[in-house]
Amino acid sequence: MAESVQAGRAPGTVFDIGYRSYAGRREGRGRGRIAVFKNGVRTALGLGRGGRAKILPWSFLAILTGMALIMVLIAGAATRFAGPAGAAKMDLPSHVDYYGIASILLFVFAALVAPELLCRDRRERTINLYLVRPLTGTDYIAARYAAGLAVMLTAVWLPQIILFLGLTFDAAEPVAYLRASWLDVPRFLLAGLVLATFTTGLALLTAAFTDRRAYASVFLVGLFIITAPFTAGLASDIQGPAGQWLSMFNLTNIPMHVNDIIFGELSDVTKDAPAGKLPAAVLVGWYLAWTIVPGLVLWARYRRLSP
Amino acid sequence: MTDTPPPLLVAEHLTKRYRGVLALDDVSFAIGEGITGLLGENGAGKSTAIRIFLGLIPPTSGTALALGRSTSDALDVRARLGYMPEHDCLPSQLSAAEFLTHMAEVSGLPPSAARTRAADTLRHTGLFEERYRPIGGYSTGMKQRVKLAQALVHDPAFVFLDEPTAGLDPAGREEMLALIRKTHRDFGISVLMSSHLMADVERTCDRIVVFRSGRLVQSGELTTFTGDTATVFLEVDSNRDRLAAALERRGIVVSDGGGGLTIEGPDESVYDAIRDALVEAEAPLRRMAPRRRALADLFEATAGTSPAGRS
Repeated sequence: MAESVQAGRAPGTVFDIGYRSYAGRREGRGRGRIAVFKNGVRTALGLGRGGRAKILPWSFLAILTGMALIMVLIAGAATRFAGPAGAAKMDLPSHVDYYGIASILLFVFAALVAPELLCRDRRERTINLYLVRPLTGTDYIAARYAAGLAVMLTAVWLPQIILFLGLTFDAAEPVAYLRASWLDVPRFLLAGLVLATFTTGLALLTAAFTDRRAYASVFLVGLFIITAPFTAGLASDIQGPAGQWLSMFNLTNIPMHVNDIIFGELSDVTKDAPAGKLPAAVLVGWYLAWTIVPGLVLWARYRRLSP
Repeated sequence: MTDTPPPLLVAEHLTKRYRGVLALDDVSFAIGEGITGLLGENGAGKSTAIRIFLGLIPPTSGTALALGRSTSDALDVRARLGYMPEHDCLPSQLSAAEFLTHMAEVSGLPPSAARTRAADTLRHTGLFEERYRPIGGYSTGMKQRVKLAQALVHDPAFVFLDEPTAGLDPAGREEMLALIRKTHRDFGISVLMSSHLMADVERTCDRIVVFRSGRLVQSGELTTFTGDTATVFLEVDSNRDRLAAALERRGIVVSDGGGGLTIEGPDESVYDAIRDALVEAEAPLRRMAPRRRALADLFEATAGTSPAGRS
């Protein structure tokens, strides 16, 4: 019987097996959150999209990593030409300085990534399809925040890890270098988390108020870049406590002051900032305010969102 | 004895008020398996009812049950509901395959099952060949199919379709209506289809729910509203005037229009008189049939009357 059926089939015939109902596992809200997170990371990095969507994020990651490689090469050259003692005297930029040096690039990167995560969904109204599924507005924004944070953490940690590995293997005695510098690892991880949380929150908050990615990106770049020279100039003119407080509105320096506290030394970008002389508790509190408040506003905006 | 399946959607004294505007006013109805048309003008309360059943907004008072559960348990219920919005909602950059896989995962399906379901759903909605192209390059008809596919990809028990034929040309509209019928007939998924187009509802739905100004005007089997009327329509090849005169001579009231003669409410005896009149007028009969109601008649008849749900 089977043979006769087999014999009657034309080679390459496609059979319509009809509609099959799904009787498998349904993983509910947790799976939905993971899906929005995964989609967020892919969107931010242009994965699964055309080549144009990949150019900016991957260029920035390459530049940020390249900066760490250049720092490794400079440190290696200094050690070779001036010897370990001579290189130490040169006070070459290291882990404590990296975030300060790369901060503008990191802020611009955040300004590009965050609007991709939120603006397109609202502009194309895909957000409505999320909200009619087993997912709340809070789930959606938390998953998007986590995706933005994951991408930012990659951007801040990857170069630091490369820098650490480079400095370790470039050292005359790598094991001795590791023993002396291992504390830099938790420091740059924590300082990176501080910076990534700050930039992600502010960037997503801005992106939550417009559905045009270009507006959000330009506003953010302007906010980060313009406040730095503006507040620095005014603070140096005014001086005193007023100048110190004004200096705290330099947005790029807010996480850098916490970076200095974590590393226990001033970085190149904050050593002249008047706000750096304020107590550590004030600087940390100021940082937390600028991180938590945008997060809360973002949550409030999406919490009751409905199609 | 057969068990009647429980209704999939139940509204009991459902009221929704937005800042002084009464969007739904004490509405009660039940929707079972099959395809149900939700009819009403703009602002009649159709979207409000759908949003309440999806658990997106709470009712001001009354009860809404979807799949036997209160819509306050919206997250669990939504895993088994699908929704196709009227407006554009598709990501232009993504391919249909990636988008549907993602939407299936968001609905709670594991990744491997989501990929399989996405491929199956795209095949059933006729998009399989185009599944790797970015959605931004699709025609309006294809986009409507993707919208339907995303509503079906997680194999819901019930799906809400909001104006599914909006913006489609006649051929696209035919295809979409056929897909909707297939959704219930072949996939076993019940449908609530909101539409302004009564012809679409007449051709697709088993039953209808009609709203006006937030109130329930009618609900029931479609055949109840579009069934035979007590009016007989006569169409002849020639001598229509002579036939009308012959009928009037026999005391039958006729009206001429629509390409034939209409006789209101005839009893059995009239048929003999019609036969005699046809012979006398030498009018070759082409068609004699009871006239069927159209949904448009229902709207005209109920305009200005008090809603049925309130009486």
